[in-house]
Amino acid sequence: MTLLELSEGEIAAIHALHGDREARRRIESLGLFAGRRVCVIARAPFSGPVMVEDVVSGARVMIARDLAGQIEVTGDPANGA
Amino acid sequence: MTPRTEPDEIVIALAGQPNCGKSTLFNAVAGFKVDVGNFAGTSVAFAETRVTFQGRRIRLVDLPGTYSISSHDLAEKVARDFLLSGEVDALINVVDASMLSRSLEFTLQLVEMRLPMVMCLNMMDEAQRKGMEIDTSRLEELLGVPVRTAVAVVGTGIDEVFRQAIRACDRAGSAPIEPCYDRDIEDALARLLAEYPDSVRSALPLSERFVILRLLEKDEDFERKVQVASPEFLARAGEERRRLAERDGRAEPLALGSHRHSLVLDLYEKVVRHRRGNVLGTREKVDRFIIHPIGGAITVVGSLLLTFFLAFFLGNAIAGVVDVPFGALRASIQALPSGVGPAILLGLFEGVVAGAGIVLPYLVPLLVLLAIFEDTGLLPRIAFMVDGILHRVGLHGSSVVPLILGYGCNVPSIMATRTLENPRDRFVTMMVAPFVTCSARSVVIIALAGKYLGVLVTVGLYLFGGLVSMAVSYSLTRSKRRKSLGVIMEVPPLRRPYPKIVARKVWLRLREFVMMAWPVLILSSIALSLLSYAGTDATINRLLSPLTASWLHLPVAVGIPLFLGLFRKELTLVMLGAALGTDAIGTVLSSGQIFVLVIFTMLYVPCVATLAAQWREGGWRTAVASFALNLGVSVGVAGGVARLLPTA
Repeated sequence: MTLLELSEGEIAAIHALHGDREARRRIESLGLFAGRRVCVIARAPFSGPVMVEDVVSGARVMIARDLAGQIEVTGDPANGA
Repeated sequence: MTPRTEPDEIVIALAGQPNCGKSTLFNAVAGFKVDVGNFAGTSVAFAETRVTFQGRRIRLVDLPGTYSISSHDLAEKVARDFLLSGEVDALINVVDASMLSRSLEFTLQLVEMRLPMVMCLNMMDEAQRKGMEIDTSRLEELLGVPVRTAVAVVGTGIDEVFRQAIRACDRAGSAPIEPCYDRDIEDALARLLAEYPDSVRSALPLSERFVILRLLEKDEDFERKVQVASPEFLARAGEERRRLAERDGRAEPLALGSHRHSLVLDLYEKVVRHRRGNVLGTREKVDRFIIHPIGGAITVVGSLLLTFFLAFFLGNAIAGVVDVPFGALRASIQALPSGVGPAILLGLFEGVVAGAGIVLPYLVPLLVLLAIFEDTGLLPRIAFMVDGILHRVGLHGSSVVPLILGYGCNVPSIMATRTLENPRDRFVTMMVAPFVTCSARSVVIIALAGKYLGVLVTVGLYLFGGLVSMAVSYSLTRSKRRKSLGVIMEVPPLRRPYPKIVARKVWLRLREFVMMAWPVLILSSIALSLLSYAGTDATINRLLSPLTASWLHLPVAVGIPLFLGLFRKELTLVMLGAALGTDAIGTVLSSGQIFVLVIFTMLYVPCVATLAAQWREGGWRTAVASFALNLGVSVGVAGGVARLLPTA
């Protein structure tokens, strides 16, 4: 499952980042790396970016939709999802 | 032109991630005595100042905000090179305490550099509001560097941070302890430390552990340097890195990263306790509104309208007031007997007036607006909402605010491109910005098209202007070889704007305009005045006639008004009546001709002040390219229209 497939508010843990190395590095430097628990809080219109929140720190990052599709997540058991 | 450090001075650098309040801290210390410079050979700007604190003279350097030191990004590389240059006596790592978990990784990398260092936990009020309790003395113990708290926007804690920084300078040499990685990494480090060759030691006068960590992270910069000193050691480090990567089943460059992530998580859990925060405060509700599709649309349109309002109502009202005292002065200068002296005087006067006519009515309100957009966190949210649309024409969401400001004046819009991280996006935005119809050109459009061609045509012209900007952006980004990476941007929490901080930002940017663009305006105004004194009007008209008469099918006399528009766009309108010998333009020009003239005025070359701003922000090549692009597009489009419409 990727970040894109999460419904809004659903919590999941980042499993792995794929794709372009430079993009991965930037995403990780913003605090989103494997193990972090995140949720999608909004999607921009016109296939714009998604806004992702780090559940623990509350930090928010917007990521272009195609890049978000390369972030693999695993559903949070606590969610019941 | 980096100012050198004087002998008895100590150099303190501020390093931190974007939006950590680093510049706020800097400004709290610097007041208004700030020098803005560029790092040698780059266009990465930094601010620095000299202050005296506790009898010590300090050169304080505000490094560009960066997320890490393992970098390919220009600003990050510049910041790192400066820290490692040996010039820095102490380092203050400014951290947004409310985002501690994310910032710690950068802090850890800085600690590994082993520079005398203080960690400043800024925005402590924000952290407390979020229900975070940070055990600073534990953090101090674990990181081995002093940790102090501050709320820079209100000015608390700053003195203590600097006291600690000076103490750290004085204690330099007594290396702090460093947090340990897990066994795998520490074993690899120990093996490599035992083999550390003297050749690398003398080539890189840095902490050995730091150099090895950089190699384990496959830092190309360091690999190159070590390759020269000792290729064998580089190979050994590569071997260790491969072994680590294989053990974890990860790509090599990430071999160290994952261990650092877990070290950071561990540190974080040891020092931070979360109380149950107050959920969904007012700010959160406002935030939800802004990033909601409908609320977002309202926000974006609202910002656009606000810009229009500032430029047209407030701006034009102030411009009217500013013009009054100048009018009398102008009349008395014009009454002087003609000669070179009075011609220069008149040019000087008009240049000063033109500058005042941009700065007071347009630049100040729009820069205030920009600073508020930036400080409240509205800017990235607007970017979020429009990124999808702008992406289609090759731009990013972050370009939208500079372009919106352009409807007021292109100068602040060029200055605002500084908020764009990627040099490519910044260049494209600077090239598109002059195609946005600024208020000075709007004056011309409304006066000519509004009066002679009707409301519908006028609105149509505005839409057409927008289409041209998009087409320009689309074709510019299509021809660039490298496709831009999709947006990855931090969204800081919404904050209320602090008047003091907004004022400082506006002041700094204004000062740049005054120092850079205004003198250019004055000089070109003097040159213009001398030209007209020498009676070159007819010559200029004749020189421009292939363009005006043959190509655009306009009277030769519009040459001078168009030429003057280069200097100040509204002069085209002011001078048009004089040039054509009547204010009833409709009796001299056909509707078709007025249409062509308005389109040409909308699109042709940026004004001198805009060019000066482009020069300042992007180098002379950007200014020249923008001039050529606008000229090309305007000649093509207006010429095409002239051929389609009956202009006789």
